[in-house]
Amino acid sequence: MPGLASLQKSSLRFQAPVICVSVCAEGERQDTELLCAFKFRCVFVWVTRAKLNIRAVSCLPTEPCVSLERDTGRARKLDLIDTFSSEISELKQEMVQPAREPETEILQGLEGEVSGLFLRSTACAGMPGVRDSGYDSLRRRMSILDRLMQTHSIWLLLSISEEEARRVLQLQPAGTFVVRRCPKLQKKVISLRMDNDICPVRNFPVKESQYTFSLEGSGISFADLFRLVAFCCISRDVLPFTLKLPEAISAAKTPTDLEQVAQLGKGFWDSDLCSTWKLSAIGEPVLESSQQTLKQFSPEQSVPWIPRTRTPSQLECSQSNGALCFINPLFLQIHQTNPSPKNPGTSTSLGNKELQENRESTSRSPPPRPPPPRFSSRRSAIRRQKTMPETVSWIKTPQDKSSLLGWLGHSMNSLSSSPPKIFSKPIPVPLSQSKNSSTLLDADGIRCQMALDDHTIDEAVSWSLAKVSMRNSNATENGNPADEHSSIGRERLSDISISTSSSDSLDFTHSFSLPVEASSPGTDRPTGDSSLDEEEDDGINVESDQEAPPPLKSKKQHNAGTFVLPRALRGRLRKMSGVFNSLMTPEKRAIRKIVEQSRDKGTYFGCLVQDYVSFLQENGGCHTSGSDLLQTLRQFMTQMKSYLLQSSELDPPIESLIPEDQIDQVMEKAMHKCVLKPLKPVIEAALQDLQVSSGTWQQLKENLVLAKTKQPQEMGVEGAFPPDSVAIEKIRHKFQNMCKMYSPEKKVSLLLIVCKLIYTIMENNSGRMYGADDFLPMLTYVMAQCDMPHLDNEIEYMMELLDPSLLNGEGGYYLTSAYGAMSLIKNFQEDQAARVLSSETRNTLHQWHRRRTAQRTTPSVDDFQNYLRVALQDASNGCTAKTLQVQPYATTEDVCQICAERFKVSDPENYSLFLLTDETTQQLTPDTHPQRIKAELHSRPQPQPFYFVYVKSKPQID
Amino acid sequence: MAIRELKVCLLGDTGVGKSSIVCRFVQDHFDHNISPTIGASFLTKTVPCGNELHKFLIWDTAGQERFHSLAPMYYRGSAAAVIVYDITKLDSFQMLKKWVKELKEHGPEDIVVAIAGNKHDLGDIREVPTKEAKDFAESIAAIFMETSARNAVNIEELFQKISRQIPQLEGTDAESNESFKLTRQTPPSTKRCC
Repeated sequence: MPGLASLQKSSLRFQAPVICVSVCAEGERQDTELLCAFKFRCVFVWVTRAKLNIRAVSCLPTEPCVSLERDTGRARKLDLIDTFSSEISELKQEMVQPAREPETEILQGLEGEVSGLFLRSTACAGMPGVRDSGYDSLRRRMSILDRLMQTHSIWLLLSISEEEARRVLQLQPAGTFVVRRCPKLQKKVISLRMDNDICPVRNFPVKESQYTFSLEGSGISFADLFRLVAFCCISRDVLPFTLKLPEAISAAKTPTDLEQVAQLGKGFWDSDLCSTWKLSAIGEPVLESSQQTLKQFSPEQSVPWIPRTRTPSQLECSQSNGALCFINPLFLQIHQTNPSPKNPGTSTSLGNKELQENRESTSRSPPPRPPPPRFSSRRSAIRRQKTMPETVSWIKTPQDKSSLLGWLGHSMNSLSSSPPKIFSKPIPVPLSQSKNSSTLLDADGIRCQMALDDHTIDEAVSWSLAKVSMRNSNATENGNPADEHSSIGRERLSDISISTSSSDSLDFTHSFSLPVEASSPGTDRPTGDSSLDEEEDDGINVESDQEAPPPLKSKKQHNAGTFVLPRALRGRLRKMSGVFNSLMTPEKRAIRKIVEQSRDKGTYFGCLVQDYVSFLQENGGCHTSGSDLLQTLRQFMTQMKSYLLQSSELDPPIESLIPEDQIDQVMEKAMHKCVLKPLKPVIEAALQDLQVSSGTWQQLKENLVLAKTKQPQEMGVEGAFPPDSVAIEKIRHKFQNMCKMYSPEKKVSLLLIVCKLIYTIMENNSGRMYGADDFLPMLTYVMAQCDMPHLDNEIEYMMELLDPSLLNGEGGYYLTSAYGAMSLIKNFQEDQAARVLSSETRNTLHQWHRRRTAQRTTPSVDDFQNYLRVALQDASNGCTAKTLQVQPYATTEDVCQICAERFKVSDPENYSLFLLTDETTQQLTPDTHPQRIKAELHSRPQPQPFYFVYVKSKPQID
Repeated sequence: MAIRELKVCLLGDTGVGKSSIVCRFVQDHFDHNISPTIGASFLTKTVPCGNELHKFLIWDTAGQERFHSLAPMYYRGSAAAVIVYDITKLDSFQMLKKWVKELKEHGPEDIVVAIAGNKHDLGDIREVPTKEAKDFAESIAAIFMETSARNAVNIEELFQKISRQIPQLEGTDAESNESFKLTRQTPPSTKRCC
């Protein structure tokens, strides 16, 4: 397959699995090759240890899949990047060409003709009576992914049992599926209706690892569950056949329809909507159904449908960037129902496009307008729109190149949609149409592929645009737009080509590889955020090592060096950040979603957060002590986390976006962002005020002055060589950066950087390893030399707010050491420092310890997060206890099932799970979550003993 | 295999070789998969134990008198404490006794205590007789070992013993028949502090 030659060429050793689609943008390549590239609806490239695997899923039914394996040992490195970047920069040259907008009158005058032309030029004439109204393209905008996301309440039934799933699916045609949690496997499974009645339902486990979801046995992973399922709807991969969405979902025409269906939730399966569903062949495009859909046109529906405003998060979720595999999003849209060329909708007129743009502007809040205003707003509009009309029409154009109208249409289209140059050359699409029976699919393929590229390039452009917008802070809205565009465009252009082609400027490629990095295993230490979004959000002049994750050896990577922004610009930059949505890791997407929700007072969660934040902002000083304030904050965040997990307010549920073992971490980060970030100044001020009013501040300052005069030896430093004043200055600078962070985890990672620096200085001067005997005195000395009284509050902030699960790790260790060093300094003046300290510190520490470890006691095994100790109470034998592995999200029902197995109970239906405390005995309902109950009980200020008991429940106890 | 994180605290007078013991333990079989820590005061090492993996998070403390008051921060939440003395320094053995007492009073309830008489290689200038230390350890039901960080004697063994004393999570036959009273379950370990 010639198209794969270019694929093959694009081999490169990647550290992590990578997916790129670069096949179609081969400007210089032979047209046949280009066409072949178009034939693939999606291409997967993934790299295992020594092999580059390429799998291209063809659009042609005859050759559905092509797989290639290639030894990466011999592969020429950087081939892919070269190809990719040169293509992109070339395409962008086109895209940023000055868009000279024709006079509106002319446009309007031509509209009729042009649309007529396009209608004529379409291979298949439109259906009589159904003028294109943008309907089709809008309908197609609801991709499989969109449909899945909106209707997850129907198919994502995490809590239903195997029997229930079987019952539901039994009546459905083969290919129907639900996703549920299998308590036995402790995994999510796709329960799939098979095509025989002997084994009607089979379960296919979903593997979750480090932010990716994949089917067991498959090499293709996805950023989230929705993408996985969407992919399985079009390609069977390891499944016996593709997944099928119920007709009511796949044929729904508007989001409103879907919403109605989705409201039924699990009840959908028993509803009429579901039972009327006709059987149709598996894996085949449901041709009839969408024709039916077309016939069902009601008059209202031919009125342009105004898209519901979607939040950015919704938009970003429907993009398919993110992980391992790059599926063409448009493929999902196109292939789900009807091959569109049957439909007049494909021949979208220019006027129609305008209409859409208008709609865009009326139905949505105006898109952000970073400088230069017009260009970027239009770009972002196009980007968001992501509809096909423009692309479609310009694909068709070459056919009519000879005619004036064709030319006009072409030029106008190229102006308005800025198509990549290579496609404005005649490309032999018609040729393929004539020789190929599956022209429709081909055309689709082209469209998919192009849109994908447009989208990708768009992002690239926007990225550089962000950079330009920094420089052009003075760009104004007036002046000749065309001139402005051209000059800016050129600048952008050069900018891009530099960043893509030169190897030392990593910005561009870096931004592209972000999702890839996410799929590589993370460390258990808190990692910094490296996204631009985070930096600007922090609202401070960020030094790059602030976001560097603490493999601390790495030297500064000054890719963020330019982010010293005037405040006025930040807002604009922030607006650009939408562009990066699709480059975000699933983690970031989830965090963003939670943060957005926290700002939305329409949700309960948003109300709680906003009310709390504004309460503290107004009454920051109402707490009696700093630790009191911080403890309430911590408690609030913990409660919010569990609320989010338990409520259904997060839509889609976070379980479908983030592997379960990562959820807590992600939630924690989100809490920091939505609670601590807005409150940081308030907290700081309140802590300071409290210190000042209690006199601690003054005392601390005096002691610091005194401590600073001491020699290292007086601090207990024996062998090691202390840092000089230059090093101290450097450390002080790091500490200052630490103070600017709002996230306790990031603060701790900066503290680790400081500690590493101290170690390095100590070791450089002696070459030996130093334990705490040497390190702690040195740290005390350094902290005294830094002379920063507010470090005390900083440390308290970290100690009280850091995620308890991190307290036993390296961060916790050095935080403890810093706290210790600080308390020594604080008490320096005391004559018998040690003795005074021992009583005072011991007291605080004891309380602190009780408090913090109440949430998570280390040595007691049954308190470990994923374990639950359950006792079997048996009339004859008394009690037997077992520690069971129970996932945090397991329901009581799941636990009962595990208990039945582990305790070898013959009649599990007679048993239930009870919670015993000193006073009470409570039967737990099947849908409760024992782990959460346990967590809740542990986090009480005065934890009471409690037990989970698995008991034969008598009928009268209900 | 499930990974359990176990916080282990190192106590003992300054200069007895606390960090040498841990450095030896951690670095002898250096595992490149484990991300190295930034310094020797906090080290980690994962060892298999039965059907699970134990990840030791080893917290070193400063032995100087002036830092004693900070010790509770380090031993709180510890699953085990290794108290180190120098067999050539009687003082350090006296200090060990103080630590044992303190752990009994303020330490975590179920903490596994291990006593390491370090510098076994300097047996000719020994000040603390093995028997005395051993008897003391037995009296408090602590693990006892004489070690040599320099010659890598008994280091691995010391931590293996600790590992075995950490209560198992589940799955052993012994446990399945274990009777359960409705009080807080004490781990199978019979360890007491004193």
